[in-house]
Amino acid sequence: MRDPVVKIFLPAPVASLFAAGFLDFARNDRRRVAALLVAVGIFASALVAGAAENIPPKPAGYFTDYAGVVSKEAALRFNEKLAQFERDTSNQVVVAVFRKMESDSSIADYTYRVAEAWGVGQKDRRNGAVLFVFVENRNMFLQVGYGLEGALPDATAFDITERRIKPRFRNNDYEGGIATGIDSIFAAIRGEYKGTGRTKAEEKPTASGNGTGFIILLICVVIFALAIGRGRRRRGYGYSSLGGPFIGGWSGGGWSGGSSSGGGFSGFSGGGGSFGGGGAGSSW
Amino acid sequence: MNKIMRDGGKLLLLVPLFALTGCGSYNRLVQLEQNVNKKWADVQSVYQRRADLIPNLVNTVAGAANFEKSTLTEVTNARASVGQVKLDPSKAPTDAAELEKFQQAQGQLSNALSRLLLVTENYPQLRATEGFQNLQAQLEGTENRISVERNNFNAAVQEYNTALGTFPTNMLNKMFGFQPRPYFSAQPNADKAPEVKFDFNKAAASPPPATTP
Repeated sequence: MRDPVVKIFLPAPVASLFAAGFLDFARNDRRRVAALLVAVGIFASALVAGAAENIPPKPAGYFTDYAGVVSKEAALRFNEKLAQFERDTSNQVVVAVFRKMESDSSIADYTYRVAEAWGVGQKDRRNGAVLFVFVENRNMFLQVGYGLEGALPDATAFDITERRIKPRFRNNDYEGGIATGIDSIFAAIRGEYKGTGRTKAEEKPTASGNGTGFIILLICVVIFALAIGRGRRRRGYGYSSLGGPFIGGWSGGGWSGGSSSGGGFSGFSGGGGSFGGGGAGSSW
Repeated sequence: MNKIMRDGGKLLLLVPLFALTGCGSYNRLVQLEQNVNKKWADVQSVYQRRADLIPNLVNTVAGAANFEKSTLTEVTNARASVGQVKLDPSKAPTDAAELEKFQQAQGQLSNALSRLLLVTENYPQLRATEGFQNLQAQLEGTENRISVERNNFNAAVQEYNTALGTFPTNMLNKMFGFQPRPYFSAQPNADKAPEVKFDFNKAAASPPPATTP
């Protein structure tokens, strides 16, 4: 099966500490609960660490640069451009720049699983596309969702990565390469679907509006963590370190930084689109 | 006497309950079976997609000066034999041997293709053309799709077979003629997607990159 081997490292004592901490927080201050939630989010994602490979957590924005090769201004510009594209066309295009690929599989295989896990694209239209860039591997892949395979066939995807992006990447012009890549993808798929004027994230009722949703989610996370911790211990797993390979992995680029850049940052929320292995990639 | 009445009542209550769960299980089995058939159709369509690409590939490659013809005929033959073991695209096979045969034919085609692509390594001029590179990308994408759809098919079969083998659904097998379905198996050679990855860096590095516009 293609399910990645996902292991959760969480010793029970830490989990119970966590639960106790939450109760204290909840009693004292409501705002701190929100802060704690963010911590839990980071924590939970740190728990998910694959033995064979790492599936990175769903990014907070449409454009995420974990490798730090693009300026902040450009990153924000890309993000807004991609968000606006979803408002206009409902197509979800996500660009993620990583430092290194953390998998033994082929890039096509691995990025398919990641794109699928992120659920990029609307569920009914399956119109997502994700451009993955692995800077140290000098490798990229454009994953194309089922619903865009007609507008963005493999040959076009290959044309974009090989003849438009690659020459710029070779000159270390990451910003230029990504800008061209985004424009080329837009040009290929623009006419395919019509948008609703809002992104998936904007359609959802704002979660921050009601604290109860947060708290329920938090309780679920804690209970889940506790259960896992207990289960692990009973079966005799002895992981003492938290997160394992995660440390120094995806955390290197600081993905949480993206969400706090404030000032009109459009968050990304996957619509549940699915992928079928279409797309192409190039190495430079 | 009283006790028998009570137990009889309980039994009577159980009958519609069983009937209901039976209906639910039956409906679920039908759904799962349909899902298997749908995934099978997806598998067929990606294999068909690959077969459709081959004439194009053969034409492009044959156009290259002095191209070794034996690998070309091998691909053409393998494609023809794939066409001969056509299974019903709308219904997943129930016979494991049937699926095995299908898989073998497709595997032979995969092997022939990978050999052909290996041979093209000796023709840098051919590989530098945009037409060939695009075909290559399409072929790679098709191989990726094949592996995705095969995995999806296996997952659907697993779900269906599991439902078929567990209580209370398993009581329905005989009654309604549900049959377990075979999986795609990973074979050492035939199953392996041809390694059609090329290092275009090498191709672009030796001749000046002016070959691509």
